[in-house]
Amino acid sequence: MTAQGTNSAIRVGASILRDYLVLVMIAALVALTALIEPKFLSPENLTNIMFQFGPLMMVALGTTFVIIGGFIDLSIAGTINLVAVVTISLIQPMGQVPALLTGLAIGTVCGALNSVLILSSGALTQAEALFMTFGLSTVYSAIALLYSHGSTMHFWDITASKSVFQAIGSGSLGFLSWSFVIFLISLAALWVFQEMTAEGRAVRLTGGNKTAARLAGVRISRSIVVIYAIGGFMAALGAIVLFSRVTTASPVIGVGYETNAILAVVVGGTTLKGGKGSVLRTVMGVLLVVLMSNCLNLLGVSTYLQVVAEGAILTFAIWLDNRKHM
Amino acid sequence: MNGTGKGATLYKILTKQKALIAILVMLIGMLFSHSNFYSAFNLLQMLSSTSILLILAFGVTLTIIAGGCDLSIGGIMVVAGIVSIKLMNAGMPMGLAIFFAVLFGTVVGFVNGFLAVHQKTEPFIITLGIGLLLTGVAQQLTNAHPVPAQNPNFMMIGNGYFHGVPNLVIIMLVLFALTYWLMRYTEFGRNLYAIGGDYEVARYSGIDVITTKWLAFVISGTMAALAGVLLSSELNTGSAVYGETTALVVNCGVVVGGTSFAGGIGGIPQSALGLLVFGLLSNSMNMLNISSYFQIMLQGAVIVAIIWMDSYAQKRRREAV
Repeated sequence: MTAQGTNSAIRVGASILRDYLVLVMIAALVALTALIEPKFLSPENLTNIMFQFGPLMMVALGTTFVIIGGFIDLSIAGTINLVAVVTISLIQPMGQVPALLTGLAIGTVCGALNSVLILSSGALTQAEALFMTFGLSTVYSAIALLYSHGSTMHFWDITASKSVFQAIGSGSLGFLSWSFVIFLISLAALWVFQEMTAEGRAVRLTGGNKTAARLAGVRISRSIVVIYAIGGFMAALGAIVLFSRVTTASPVIGVGYETNAILAVVVGGTTLKGGKGSVLRTVMGVLLVVLMSNCLNLLGVSTYLQVVAEGAILTFAIWLDNRKHM
Repeated sequence: MNGTGKGATLYKILTKQKALIAILVMLIGMLFSHSNFYSAFNLLQMLSSTSILLILAFGVTLTIIAGGCDLSIGGIMVVAGIVSIKLMNAGMPMGLAIFFAVLFGTVVGFVNGFLAVHQKTEPFIITLGIGLLLTGVAQQLTNAHPVPAQNPNFMMIGNGYFHGVPNLVIIMLVLFALTYWLMRYTEFGRNLYAIGGDYEVARYSGIDVITTKWLAFVISGTMAALAGVLLSSELNTGSAVYGETTALVVNCGVVVGGTSFAGGIGGIPQSALGLLVFGLLSNSMNMLNISSYFQIMLQGAVIVAIIWMDSYAQKRRREAV
């Protein structure tokens, strides 16, 4: 009886540890860095982190639903390139708000186009989606290059008012940066979508088992369009936050965001097998990725070794995710 | 399915031989262009510049036929190229440096196989992770600057000629024959087809599925490292910037040829045709002076179109059953 009790207690403990391994890793990392480098906990550095994690957070939040739905999206990099370049060029002729809205619309259309191709070809597997969205990413990036003639566009080229973008990039509301406020609003909206709407449940069912979902009356095709459209919209939002912060938009600004977003989502504990996961987990995953890069920067590790670390953590997280389901 | 007659036959030919058709269309189209496309020099040049992609594709084909895929080849390629040059510049004899660089690919392939086959993770995402890791390694090794080779003999491997034929083409043809023989005439090759066709059936038939599929990843990694050594010899430098999209392009090229992600279908000659589509595309666009941005866009569009057709053909097959 007691042996059985301890056994199950160990099992429960192990499963909690597995589920929240990311949180444990974040805590360990923060503690370790704070110990070695006291600058880490200084208000300047924390503000810095708050401004830094915006773009990746938006992109990863959008990708979460694509992965819960059992698919994958590599077109994000291309979408960010295109949206950043087009939006910044439209501020002068159209005005700020129309430019912003056009950017978001382009992102949504780019995202939805993925789902149109996937649905029309009847692709079911992640591998097919991976290659198709990679092809589209190449096309979007090429359009961004053609549109901008391969050159970087700067804020100082714009004589019209760009106050909205400046606020997004560096403005604060009280002690919170505007990008953080945008993050809170989008997180709340996506969480409501995930937990409280029929469509949110439909996405989870689609990711879990497509045949069962269809037999249960779920309109799979609508779910697939919705997840990719959300992915594209959030990528566009990420692009706008990103170029507002760095005040330039180059046609290759989004390179790497697609793998980093997948990394953050998987590290957060959303399974690549589909059907399970949450935007709240993605928030933890993004925090880990951003904190890791901040810590490694403070410790003086080269950016190249940071890429190595990201690759290693991605591989490890996928392996761990897979172990859970064996 | 049997009543549709000619339309269905035409559809079948179109989907099965899409690479051949694409090549024919481009060859005919180039007849009307006023360029030096149809010169022996240009055609040999094209074959030579596609050779490295072809060598990568031969290895990848094995993993795709076995029902996996390998997206780490870009990373393996650049790191192996850099390693060979770094070792040589440090004073190691050329042969030994190349041996260690290729051995590096074998080791990475072994790790890929362990994760994707033994631990049963999704091959495309786990090899993507390994590829990301290796890109970081390449940047760290070179500090993101190209490393020139100091040994003049090394350059001759990738740029020399043997009786008027570029060395790269000869090496590619030898590897083509080797992998073709492996897949067509050995038990190992037949087992790979069986595993890709139906993993469980292959296992119950007594095939050592894990070892066989694992070996496919090892061969893919080794071939990628070999391609990396040849690339750095051709350029006479080791650099981390090549190979960013190589892995995805090569995997798509293999599918263009008719080897399907569903596994169990395809072969080495098909992959060669598939990669030639990309080689021919970029060569003829260069000949027509098309801007590189347009070339990128067309390449992306071709990838989307081909994968779309592959998925659609699979859907038809599912519905026909």
